[in-house]
Amino acid sequence: MSADNSPLVIGFLCNWCSYAGADMAGTSRQSYPTNIRIIRVPCSGRVDPLLIVKCFEEGADAVLVAGCHPGDCHYNEGNYYGRRRFALLRALLDFMGIERERFRTEWVSASEGKRFAGIITEFTDQMTKLGPRKAS
Amino acid sequence: MAADFTRQIREKAKELLEGGTVECVIGYETGTDGVSARPAFVYDAADVDRLVFDNTCTHNLVKYLLNRKGKSTAVVVKGCDSRALNLLLSEKQIQRDQVYAIGVVCPGVVEWGWNRRSDRTQDRCGWCRQHTPVVSDFLVGEPVTEEPPAGYSDIAEMSAKTSEERAAFWKEQAERCIRCYACRQACPGCYCIDCFVELLEPEWVGIRIAPEENWMWNTVRAFHLGGRCIACNECERVCPVNLPLSLLNRRLEQEVVDLFDYRAGMSEDAPAPLITFKKDESLGIGE
Repeated sequence: MSADNSPLVIGFLCNWCSYAGADMAGTSRQSYPTNIRIIRVPCSGRVDPLLIVKCFEEGADAVLVAGCHPGDCHYNEGNYYGRRRFALLRALLDFMGIERERFRTEWVSASEGKRFAGIITEFTDQMTKLGPRKAS
Repeated sequence: MAADFTRQIREKAKELLEGGTVECVIGYETGTDGVSARPAFVYDAADVDRLVFDNTCTHNLVKYLLNRKGKSTAVVVKGCDSRALNLLLSEKQIQRDQVYAIGVVCPGVVEWGWNRRSDRTQDRCGWCRQHTPVVSDFLVGEPVTEEPPAGYSDIAEMSAKTSEERAAFWKEQAERCIRCYACRQACPGCYCIDCFVELLEPEWVGIRIAPEENWMWNTVRAFHLGGRCIACNECERVCPVNLPLSLLNRRLEQEVVDLFDYRAGMSEDAPAPLITFKKDESLGIGE
């Protein structure tokens, strides 16, 4: 949670699709909330669950992992591995009291700038409604 | 029954050591209190009478095979332990031809008691649907057929709570954790030479014993066993502050069954769910 009480969202964006998608959102003058702190990673399959758990440990309200659409991975199969990992991790985090909504995975291609802006806006709104993390 | 099991294990161990099939037999012997079993390493056929088997034989001896890589070893395995054998075989940590598994159809094991035999069966034996070893070269006892595992009432109870209550519950547990890593040391699936928790670069978990660091440790320990935990529950048994670690393990086990229809350690060949994938699966994320 940042100082002005708005949610802090950490975004892991894959270099080849989603980061380029965020770039596209910028060059096409889409606006979206500044709550997201973007971390550029080579692939969504590179996102170690440790990174996500660490974000929550350090007080992030939400984590977004965005990668290439299934079938479009630059490394052919990175996002398939990631998909399994994140599905399992989300269940564990939910069981430990971090609501399912707080950890989201999205597939955003390099041309989907407008969609990227929409996802961030919607996600931030959802987190604002949900409020800060409890008991942690 | 226990006496008969003990006799059969001793005879087999003697035969294996005398014939030179293995250099060492890992089994159980009576501990210093005269009641509870402890792990025993027998190298000489003259010593096989140390070996025993009864309902205090709780340890998962498969863990010790990791220290005997490349050396022929026989190991006494209960049903749950035998799944660990499959886990380590599938992960290429041990070689099948170097391990001789003396399987025991497990009668269930009891809680630990000093100087006296507890009559309380461990919780895990109530959940267990694998009393017969899934892999063995020699079987002690009559195999039993069992139904697949039923649901867990305590997990359902926990899942029915609000996120806030669950977060508070796990925060409380993290406050009690002393991060002795006994859970890791007892676990046959935790064998990384450099565990993430001890890395200094990057420093995933700080050295101070703070609740949030403990929370991170317990979360990631459980996740690293996701789809790999073979439900021997040794982590929970050895925990000096009695953290309910099996709640996390069993929740993940459930999710792995639901998502991937997979149970760890049931076969030597099936890869763990997180090291493989299907292109056209729907896991409810990114959709």
